[in-house]
Amino acid sequence: MGYTLVYTQVLEFFPYLIRGAVISLQIAILAFFGGMFFGLIFATIRTFGNKLMNNMVIWYVTFFTNTPQLVQIYFLFFALPEFGILLSPFIAVLLGMTLNAAAYLCEIQRAGFLSIRQNELDAAKTLNFTLIQQVKYVILPHIMKVLFPPLSNHYIIMTLGTSMAAIFGVEELTGRAFNINSETFRSVEIFSLTALVYIVITFMATFLLALIGRYFFKAKMRIIQ
Amino acid sequence: MERLLEEIPSFFTIWNIIFLGKAMGVTFLLTAIGCLVGFSVGGLLAVFRKTKSLVLLPLRFFIIIYTEIFRRIPFLVSLLLMFYVFQILKISDNLFLIATITVCLIATAYIGEIIRSGIESINQTQWDAAEAMNFSYFQILKEVIFPQAWKVILPPAFSFFIMFIKDTALASQIGVMELTFAAKILNNKGFSPLLSFGTILVLYFILSFPLDRFGKYMEKKLVTNRN
Repeated sequence: MGYTLVYTQVLEFFPYLIRGAVISLQIAILAFFGGMFFGLIFATIRTFGNKLMNNMVIWYVTFFTNTPQLVQIYFLFFALPEFGILLSPFIAVLLGMTLNAAAYLCEIQRAGFLSIRQNELDAAKTLNFTLIQQVKYVILPHIMKVLFPPLSNHYIIMTLGTSMAAIFGVEELTGRAFNINSETFRSVEIFSLTALVYIVITFMATFLLALIGRYFFKAKMRIIQ
Repeated sequence: MERLLEEIPSFFTIWNIIFLGKAMGVTFLLTAIGCLVGFSVGGLLAVFRKTKSLVLLPLRFFIIIYTEIFRRIPFLVSLLLMFYVFQILKISDNLFLIATITVCLIATAYIGEIIRSGIESINQTQWDAAEAMNFSYFQILKEVIFPQAWKVILPPAFSFFIMFIKDTALASQIGVMELTFAAKILNNKGFSPLLSFGTILVLYFILSFPLDRFGKYMEKKLVTNRN
């Protein structure tokens, strides 16, 4: 006891912290879209590929979903220099998060692919839809409705995951909190403020994604569960 | 590469293996305690959130705030926050205790959500029918809702266990002696990072792969049962 919370000193660093949050969002968005891209390729292989490639993707996904992201990034950051590949902290974190996201997003997108029914495609063919029309009117609306909620969920998880970058010295939200902590020693204040910023940015993301999901993709999404 | 081959015999000594085994035990213990507490308290939270009486309104409000907040703070930040709160309140300096409490708090929020969505997956007509037969609230849950809901609850619960085995890696940042911290120590002793981090990647895999398989098996079995 005998400790009083003083926020004035910490609040001076608030703009600095917010600029860190922007870097966090950058990492999250870049890694998310990188993961989407590779996940799409992997999901296509899982759905249409031959047996060998299919098995390779399965092992990739099992390995990356069963080991911690932190250790994967440690591995990239500390073990790759032994082979002469030196990654900057930002790139190592981004690469690790992208590889990790690719594994999860592959599974999510594959589930989306599987949700299209053959008789819907047949019906579209009977109506003489071209391939582009099929994709535009039958496949995409259907896939997006199923995919959008889990994808936005994973985006939130990834935003939280970016806090790991601080451990490698990237100056994002948590990294800047570390800096301020070692400058002012107001540990509880600074970390509670950081937690608040995380809550706000994830809430904003949930809100926007729920709006987009509801009005563009007719997905059932709620802001507070 | 040759250096690596030379290191392997000195890396896998009996002491290092015991050391890694102990660290693996700590990782497992953290996850197991977190998930057990999370399941029991989270289940309670989910049950209370479904109540309708006006008296319990503040409690429901508190539960919503709690789950929404703890699912939106990164594990690393909540761990450090808990660490410093323990420090200024001078409660305890046991790092394992701090990590366990944080894991429990977060696991409660997540598993509470999983159980709640399981309960909500049951059709409203089931509630109405049970109420019409004059079941009490807890009888409805026990006899009607949970026997059906656990099929929806179990698969995501398993993937959550795996997620938490992986997330406890962050506890190394406050200095809990678990797998990642053990790897850092071995790395600092001079073993190659390829060897030390590679080994614990494999150990984490050994820890979570059976759970992953079991979860997938259960999922398949439950889905075929339902149809």
